[in-house]
Amino acid sequence: MVEKGKDQIKVEATPVREANPGQPPQKEGWGVENLPYPDKVALIQTRWDLCTGCGTCEMACSMKHFGVIHRELSRIRIFRYLLPIPKSVQNVCCQCSEKERECQKACPLDPPVIHFDKEKLHMVVDTERCLGSSCAKCQEACPASVPRFYPPEVDYPLVCDLCEVNGERKPQCVEVCPNFALEYMAPQFPQHLERIHPDQKAEYLSKRLYPLPKDKIQIPPEELFKEEK
Amino acid sequence: MKFQLLEINLSTKEKKVVDVSQDIRQYLGGRGYGAKLMWDRVPQGADPLGEENILYIGVGPITGFLGAVTSFNAKSPLTLRGGTSHMNGHFGVELIYAGYNAGILLTGKSPKPVYLYIKNDDVEIRDAAHLWGKMNLAAQQTLHRELRKELDDQNFRLMTIGPAGEHLVRNAAISHEFYHFAARLGMGAVMGSKNLKAIAVRGTKAPAYSYPEEIYEIVTKFHKDARLKKAQDRRWGHNLSVSGRYYNTTEGVKNKQLGWDPICDLSNSLILEQQYKLWNDSCNYCHTGCKVPSFRRNPPLGPTIAELRHDNAGGWDANVMLPGYDVQVYLTSYVDELGLDSEDVSGVVAWMMECYQRGLISREELNGIDLTWGNLPAICRLLKKITYRDGIGDILAEGLKLAPLRLKKEMAPYAITTKGIAITSYEPRGSMQDAIDLAVVPVGELHAGRGVPKRVVCDSLTICAFLRHNIQEVFGLDQFARDMLHGACGWEVSQEEWLDMVRRGAYMERCYCIREGYLPVRDDMMPDRFFEETIYNKYGEPKILKREEFLEKREKTYFAFELDRNGIPLKENLKKLGMEFVIPPLEKTLPNWD
Repeated sequence: MVEKGKDQIKVEATPVREANPGQPPQKEGWGVENLPYPDKVALIQTRWDLCTGCGTCEMACSMKHFGVIHRELSRIRIFRYLLPIPKSVQNVCCQCSEKERECQKACPLDPPVIHFDKEKLHMVVDTERCLGSSCAKCQEACPASVPRFYPPEVDYPLVCDLCEVNGERKPQCVEVCPNFALEYMAPQFPQHLERIHPDQKAEYLSKRLYPLPKDKIQIPPEELFKEEK
Repeated sequence: MKFQLLEINLSTKEKKVVDVSQDIRQYLGGRGYGAKLMWDRVPQGADPLGEENILYIGVGPITGFLGAVTSFNAKSPLTLRGGTSHMNGHFGVELIYAGYNAGILLTGKSPKPVYLYIKNDDVEIRDAAHLWGKMNLAAQQTLHRELRKELDDQNFRLMTIGPAGEHLVRNAAISHEFYHFAARLGMGAVMGSKNLKAIAVRGTKAPAYSYPEEIYEIVTKFHKDARLKKAQDRRWGHNLSVSGRYYNTTEGVKNKQLGWDPICDLSNSLILEQQYKLWNDSCNYCHTGCKVPSFRRNPPLGPTIAELRHDNAGGWDANVMLPGYDVQVYLTSYVDELGLDSEDVSGVVAWMMECYQRGLISREELNGIDLTWGNLPAICRLLKKITYRDGIGDILAEGLKLAPLRLKKEMAPYAITTKGIAITSYEPRGSMQDAIDLAVVPVGELHAGRGVPKRVVCDSLTICAFLRHNIQEVFGLDQFARDMLHGACGWEVSQEEWLDMVRRGAYMERCYCIREGYLPVRDDMMPDRFFEETIYNKYGEPKILKREEFLEKREKTYFAFELDRNGIPLKENLKKLGMEFVIPPLEKTLPNWD
């Protein structure tokens, strides 16, 4: 910024991530991965086109929350489709917009076990009161089938808490994703529009392969080279 | 950590889970343990396509970290000796999550077509009549539709064989998620001989790793420090090497008749990236994403997708004089659909093309196929004949060890092979190191130095072959392996013990092959063409292999592998490693062994 009337030119330093003030950025580079973390409502945006399906995010999530390497305990999941070639897409809670929190609406208990915490700015689950996988109304209600159970060890819905500890949010999956296929940022549009079922995500991606149908890899040579005898 | 092997007898439908922790501590798993199982379970001289052969689908203690290699081990129908083949993807790690962290051992033969269904402890042998005869993609999609009840089942990992495996074509491959292949050495034919069409696995249990935080630290450090690998391989995948190889005269042209041809310049990886690339895809916990599917849609060949890399597309390049990626994308996916080993069958086709060029085989003998160089429709028709063992295809389906015996003997010298496996996407005259690397593998021509003991141990552990140099740079392979074994299994492995593990796997494979008739000094040879015919590269420089130099280097390599000058392990070394049991049977096959 140039201050008028002075010879000196003052340049503001590049902001570092607020999640770790004073520390150098975790990832080097000038891209979106180096932007400061948001301080208001935020979510993990998934970029399915960039996802290579390595599953490092799943490892990071289970390590952060349970201290083990266990895909099934991860709050972010990778699903793999044949379109006809393999393609992976992510599935994670997008902390839906206020009027579209279907899981919260569906919870049979009052107040709802699964709800948005306005202090912590993410979905929370009251694990003590939860009825467990025998209920699973939240999973049914979520259009993307995000809340997951892993009974008997984890009999409450696993949803993304943005790795919040004492008010500090630092999603580990975003930190480790080698492909920048996950972005932690303030919502760019109503969050619930991020909430697309993995099947539907795969369907959209398969349209890129037009005119190839999903169950065919090519026009078979018998059809293509018919005239040659 | 306990290691559990799922053992299934397909003849009697008997299933059991065996604790093999003792053996895994010795042989690690994958390729090394597979060789041990072959030694123990397959009688000497057994028919590879008979009931006595086994199929070991192996994983290792650290499978799933930095690529999830699955190792397939069986007596090879192609070489009639030990066989091993490796595929990447997600199959191996799913098997571990299902609780079988020492793999699956298949014995016997099912009376009718079946597939294997595994979901955690639930193991079933199911009827596969409706899948039999289907191409790879159709079989995988049909099976997937059947198994998917809810979203969680989406991640069922499947592997299938195509029509080639069903018809016992000796170089048939096993396919997983369409473009991951365990292609080499006829593993698909072994699976077909057991009447096993597919395996579907889903696991929701986690292995009890001893120190997960150590593993997590190593893997994330690797992702960060091996960034260059990612930057390079993400653009073109492993097709990049083809472009460079033509200029080093290390890539075959016209069945090795030429050193260079203008057609080679069409293999330009930039074209692949800019015109065809779709996106990146990677294996378990690997940051690289070196799978780069290519998509073409324009006429005349219409829409096709394929994943081109050195191994599968290299053989369908200048070696059969096909021009550029447009054609390769079409042909490679056709071969994948049929379930053939792209690399090996392209060698068979190139051999036939040269025989046709020289007038050694007529158009009538080829069932009316005009097999001129680069003739795409003709190649497709011949591939179909090979797959369904129709006419001339019935002979060619026997592979380069057995087929030349059934054709005119003048044709045999043009079969470019060692130990019955085609050398297609390599041209040893450009590099003595390549020639040695290809020659000294006991199981046959497996490229990229796959005979070196430290490579065998990578396949036993199992870590991705493409990451081995980067692991060496970032941690050093020995240190990495010992740290990972500590993190995963809690073993304190000393450097000396680690080196013994390295030796044990490599010796075991070599000993098994020797028992089945492998004689290193006789078999570790290159075809005469490489020593007798000079080729010229683009700049007119002559390239040829010198026989004396080759033999001298080969002997040095044997010494480097801790073998004697004839490529046989020393008895004292075997005793030191606790492998005395191999000595009496080997003494019978090697009368002059001391």
